Amino acid sequence: MNTDFAIQVEDLVTHYGPVKILDQINLAINPGEIMIIMGGSGSGKSTLLRHLLGLHTPTSGSIKLLGKDITKVSPTEMHDLRTNMGVSFQGGALISSMTVGENIQLPLREHTKLDESTMGIMARMKLEVVNLGGFEDLMPSQLSGGMIKRAALARAIVMDPKMLFFDEPSAGLDPVAASELDDLILKLRDSMKMTIVVVTHELESAFKIADRITVLDHGKILLTGSVSEVKNSSIARVQDLLNRRSRHDQINADEYMDRLTGET
Amino acid sequence: MADVDDERIRNSVENLGRVVVAFVSEFGYYLALVYESFYWVVAGPFKRQPVRFAAAVSQMVEVGIAALPIVFVLSFAIGVMLAIQGVHTLKQFGAETQVVLGIALSVTREFGPLITGILVAGRTGSALAARVGTMQVNQEIDALRVMGINPVRYLVSPVLLAMLVMMPAITLFSDLAAMLGGAVYCNAGLGLGYVAYWDQGTAFITANDVMQGLLKSMVFAVIITLIGVSNGFSVSGGAEGVGRATTRAVVLAISYIVLADMTFTYFLNR
Amino acid sequence: MAYEVQQDRGFAIVLLTGDVDLSCSPDARKTILDCLNSSQNTLVNLSDVSYIDSSGVASLVEGYQTAKKKNLEFGLIGVSGPAMSVLELARLDKVFPIYADIEECLKRDG
Repeated sequence: MNTDFAIQVEDLVTHYGPVKILDQINLAINPGEIMIIMGGSGSGKSTLLRHLLGLHTPTSGSIKLLGKDITKVSPTEMHDLRTNMGVSFQGGALISSMTVGENIQLPLREHTKLDESTMGIMARMKLEVVNLGGFEDLMPSQLSGGMIKRAALARAIVMDPKMLFFDEPSAGLDPVAASELDDLILKLRDSMKMTIVVVTHELESAFKIADRITVLDHGKILLTGSVSEVKNSSIARVQDLLNRRSRHDQINADEYMDRLTGET
Repeated sequence: MADVDDERIRNSVENLGRVVVAFVSEFGYYLALVYESFYWVVAGPFKRQPVRFAAAVSQMVEVGIAALPIVFVLSFAIGVMLAIQGVHTLKQFGAETQVVLGIALSVTREFGPLITGILVAGRTGSALAARVGTMQVNQEIDALRVMGINPVRYLVSPVLLAMLVMMPAITLFSDLAAMLGGAVYCNAGLGLGYVAYWDQGTAFITANDVMQGLLKSMVFAVIITLIGVSNGFSVSGGAEGVGRATTRAVVLAISYIVLADMTFTYFLNR
Repeated sequence: MAYEVQQDRGFAIVLLTGDVDLSCSPDARKTILDCLNSSQNTLVNLSDVSYIDSSGVASLVEGYQTAKKKNLEFGLIGVSGPAMSVLELARLDKVFPIYADIEECLKRDG
């Protein structure tokens, strides 16, 4: 049963120092699904992503990728899992000392023994997919922000991973470039059957590509549901996020005083 | 009053404790990093993550060959200075001609490795901290990790290998350059011929003297690499953080080199 | 993945079946290039391919380029649904000569 999900998070609790960042997160993502993780700044969405990527160790709980609990697997198994994961970081995170082409070939070079010409063709093919054909010999510093994001996407998909993760894909892009990237995400899912997790706070893009949306706030999941379920949610905080309203939390006078006087 | 004193003592003890803990944890981190770097060199091929020889070679060029001109200039100058000071001191005993012994010994045991260590700390230590720090800030380190490329294996092991090979090599080169500096001064000042200088020099120094210097330089290689890389890895806070880490790496590396040098000299010359 | 090579009306037909992924695409590549290097017109039958990844597609690209250089014919026949969507992603469906089967290919030549 559990192995039917591509990604499954159970009772995840994490801390940063003494501060609790994520609290009892439960999340299951189907194969081939596009799941959007949404939330304001400081909601813990980026932390959740970093845990899904195995970059941090949680306080408690489990994270299963393709049925394997990454909090328990051996380094070798984790290594195998990593070849099935593609990640597109917010700033692209291309290795700045390598050309675009070398960046994209890097996973192939490190993980496969393919022929040199095959690797070259694969890298150029992925560049074509992200509309960057002919840019392979440039250095990352010579590309614009949108191009860097697309090049990073090309690197993320060069191994044809089963799972693809995006951190704020449309941040810093103009509306047209952002929309093109959304189309590309949909295309990748449809043709490669990838499971895709996108962390974003861009509502428009989220509603366009999401199969389901998870809304995080203060380290807790407010709700997980389809686009219309989220839009019609009666939870006040969700509506605040959707309508870009300032928060109007109830103030707990005692707790507030404790925070101000530093006695917590 | 007593309360205030108590509190002051408690605070200073607490601070001392913090400093000790920070020092121990940093030192432990260095040890772990050394272990991991060598682990990948040995075990990498069996884990389908070999350390790339080509990367080590390009680092050798960067660390070693590119440093040769400046090493030559400084070592030559040190050689000249040693000769000047030596002649000046020994003149009081009428023993100017013994200067060659002084130069040969202090260069091979002390100044060659030390000058090389300080220079390489300035060049490579800072470059390492800046490079790794920038990669950390740009999430390139995270990117490597999620691609299944161990950052220590990919970034640190090749550099450590390169440093371990190149530091003794540069040190030897520095020894020769400093000896040459001394020779030029002795030739001009004392009229001592180059051949006689060389014969005298090599008659006094033993393989052991040279080895002592080379051994030191390998320790310096490890110090520079570790401090550079670990300061890079621990960068947070953008470009400013990279700057801070770079400065810290150079200052720390040079301090540790001098301290290690002193310790070495003390124990090796008892 | 399994593969076999058949001869049919002047064509070498490389039949690929199953999953063509990183583990076996080097074999596929070698088989295709061997056919072309022995100066045979070559068709690759993808009708039984359940999955093809980009290393597999890259092998096809290399095959087509080699065929062009040697003035040989190269094409894909019976491209399965999964294979087609991967080709479409890289817009290679507009580049490769794609036929339903060998008859269609012969007709077009004739």
